[in-house]
Amino acid sequence: MSKNIITPTKEFEDVLTPGYKDLVANGPYNRSAPGTVDDLGSFREITEPHPHCAGCGVSLGIRLGLASLPSPENTIIIGTPGCAYFALTQSALCYSCTAFGNQNSVATGLKRMLKIRHPGKVKDVLVMVGDGGVADIGLDYTLHSWFRGENIATVMLDNEVYGNTGGQESGMTVEGKVLNMAPTGKKFPKIPVFEMAKVAGCAYAVRTTVASPKKFGTAVRRAVLIAREVGPTYVQVYTPCPTNLKFSPGKTLEAAKDVEKTYYQYEEYMTEEASAYLSRIGELKEAK
Amino acid sequence: MSMSANINAAASAGPNQKAVSPEELLLKAPRERAFMTGSEAVAEAVRRAGIDMAIAYPITPQSESMHLTGDLFAQGYIKDYYRAENEFAVMAAVHGASLGGGRVFTATSGPGTLRAMEMFPVWAGSRQPIVCAFMCRGVALPPSIQPENIEMAFLLDTGMIMFHAENSQDFFDFILAGYAIAEQSEVHLPVGVFADGFFVTHTREVIMLPPDNIKLGEYNPDIAPIPPFDMEHAPMQMVRDPLLNKCNFVSYAASASWHQEVLAAAERARKHINKYMGGLIEVENPGADIMIIASGIAVSQSRDAIRTMAERDGITAGLIKVKSIRPFPAAEIAQATARASAIVIPEFNAGGWLAREVMGTIDNNSRVIAGPRVFGGMSLPGEVIIDVIKKAAR
Amino acid sequence: MKRSNLDIRMAGLGGQGVVTAAHILGTAVVATGKYAVVNPFFGAEKRLAPTESYVRISSEKIYDRGEVMYPNIVMVFDPQVITIGKSHTLPFHAGLKDGGLILVNSADPVIHDRDKAVLDNIKAKVVYVPATKLSVEFTGSDLSMNMTMLGALCGLDDTLVDLNAVMTAVEERFSGKTKIVASGTSAALDEAVKSKFEKMGAMIEKNRTAINKAYEYAKRC
Repeated sequence: MSKNIITPTKEFEDVLTPGYKDLVANGPYNRSAPGTVDDLGSFREITEPHPHCAGCGVSLGIRLGLASLPSPENTIIIGTPGCAYFALTQSALCYSCTAFGNQNSVATGLKRMLKIRHPGKVKDVLVMVGDGGVADIGLDYTLHSWFRGENIATVMLDNEVYGNTGGQESGMTVEGKVLNMAPTGKKFPKIPVFEMAKVAGCAYAVRTTVASPKKFGTAVRRAVLIAREVGPTYVQVYTPCPTNLKFSPGKTLEAAKDVEKTYYQYEEYMTEEASAYLSRIGELKEAK
Repeated sequence: MSMSANINAAASAGPNQKAVSPEELLLKAPRERAFMTGSEAVAEAVRRAGIDMAIAYPITPQSESMHLTGDLFAQGYIKDYYRAENEFAVMAAVHGASLGGGRVFTATSGPGTLRAMEMFPVWAGSRQPIVCAFMCRGVALPPSIQPENIEMAFLLDTGMIMFHAENSQDFFDFILAGYAIAEQSEVHLPVGVFADGFFVTHTREVIMLPPDNIKLGEYNPDIAPIPPFDMEHAPMQMVRDPLLNKCNFVSYAASASWHQEVLAAAERARKHINKYMGGLIEVENPGADIMIIASGIAVSQSRDAIRTMAERDGITAGLIKVKSIRPFPAAEIAQATARASAIVIPEFNAGGWLAREVMGTIDNNSRVIAGPRVFGGMSLPGEVIIDVIKKAAR
Repeated sequence: MKRSNLDIRMAGLGGQGVVTAAHILGTAVVATGKYAVVNPFFGAEKRLAPTESYVRISSEKIYDRGEVMYPNIVMVFDPQVITIGKSHTLPFHAGLKDGGLILVNSADPVIHDRDKAVLDNIKAKVVYVPATKLSVEFTGSDLSMNMTMLGALCGLDDTLVDLNAVMTAVEERFSGKTKIVASGTSAALDEAVKSKFEKMGAMIEKNRTAINKAYEYAKRC
């Protein structure tokens, strides 16, 4: 998208809100330098308060993820109902969220249509949703989009709970955890979606947490780039929920750091084709 | 990458069709006779519809039409096509493809319709001109693959425009008219074109087709009430909960007015239905004392009954064929039944949804005989309708 | 002129070409300017499972749809339809109109006395034609049994349809000139049948021979 599309004519400039002017002047589009988590930008849709709980790991994950997009002016985000929806509706990108769990199917149709209508142009389709949306209600749609090799990047914001509906167990909740709808504790372990991504056809997959913003930012950037040219990609980021996991809102990063030592160790997987592609476009060096 | 290659291969094999207006394709182009099934008629409509993308999932009795649609993709008539994992995935992907600003097609039947249910109001709420063919069949009361149209009852309030085809000819015409009507700037709603499974899909009969070297011109998404999701336009949000979804009057009002606008858009479709489909209803023997009201295959069975009665018994009955179920032709039906003393409503479902619709909109419901009804795959011989009419005449 | 209707029910087993025979007959009728509507039994078709198809023929537009419940003619493509009731419609003659015709693919009588009494009562005509045997004899294969059945039907009732139109319909059906798919399963069977005959032309010729010779055979019945 050209910035001209949102730039007002001189005659209209004075009637537009400060927010809109800020979007045009400082918004995420057509930045000269690639987006990274080092510079979240000053634009409103990322820095302003939004209706999440204090200390929300999901909102932090979304900020970091959006700041890391390689080409926000050409990015469309598909979501699903849940906590992530609140921050994503404030982003200045096309964002769609309709039925629960359908995100990778919607993204499939959209991405294919954009290939038909805008051949040769960069059109990044990014799915950014919670753990319930990916691992439970949307698991078959997620997996099938990977089996088919769709050019979509999928980011799971894993807070290990259904937050928006009031703290119910999800498939990504750890075994034994007592939550609503798991009154005697969860009876089975976290669904191994990260491992499934590798066997289901993802060209790239990363497991990380919001306590490692650089690693997460690089993962989102690479996931989007590889999805453009190679195949489906998956980033699973731990975004702990102080409200429902019952810890102090000031301890979100600490909670994320803790699990990095145990079951949320950083892991990056990529196929040879994905690696060769990153190397070719000069994107491989910065991670090391 | 493999997918892009497929698209390119299909495009290069593309047939040389001339893009024409819907008026030309539907109303003016000369037609020739063909002897084919309803499924083949659907494919002939798709061939002429200038479709960007179609998505399929098998279910009886829909499958043949989507096989043939796949063949059309292989021949270059459609730019992309794939088999998805289930009907909810199909309807979600069709939604996504339509968000991208192109023309899309799919079809389903009975249980597939119900599995995909959540997406139909999403299409309407997103103001998408998607055309979906429904080859109606039983659902699960008990399990049945046989024809009946109970699924239409479930879809009456999804915001979708609904047309009910009597035969293969209607099926062909209504699908193409569906695009012409759905893509009007002031309408922009999904259109469901319904036909009774097997009775239409698997039945071979004569239909009249315009030439296959013409097709509908390209869809222009810039005239849509909602711009396409392509980052060629200013970004926007399409979310199921308008504004932020918690409790405040502004969000309720936004949701309500959006819903009202969906209903209003369907009302605005009436003049286009009149233009492209010759009206929301058709009336035979207007002014008859006994009027049959029917839609879909029940219209054909009623025609058979009316002819037999006229030839054999000297009884004249009238017929109102309801082509548009949404918007519903309440005023037209009220007018056409104003002088009738008995109104017979034969249906191919157990619920009697058409009778309910009619009785909710006309005066003096004691005139209405809400039947006969068959379901579970039963045929409805004209004699059964004649029986009911004769009882009414007494 | 009074409207004339003729309704045919064809019963057999999946894979025997019951649907194809109906299709060819319907195509031929329409080509001669009369009206025809053709449909199979409404269900998922499986090889060797009961199959039915229906042909309605009329001098005027046909509205009635669905199964033919009151046929003028019943064609039985496999004796098992009668002998063990492998059929959607039971008994096989259910609804047959007075003076109707029953054509059975069998060299020997297979109809039980009880059914015979019913058929005698409605003055039905029963004709046995060894259609499978004739197919093997005329074409070297049993695959054209549906064609010998169709040929025999034409031989029994010359007013039904012009035999030349049937020959043209056979060519249209098998030449691939018109893309016809009765169902996914029958499309797959088509491929198998084609490979057996090797060449499309040979297949069309053999089917025509089967129809012609069965027509002559039936004339002598």
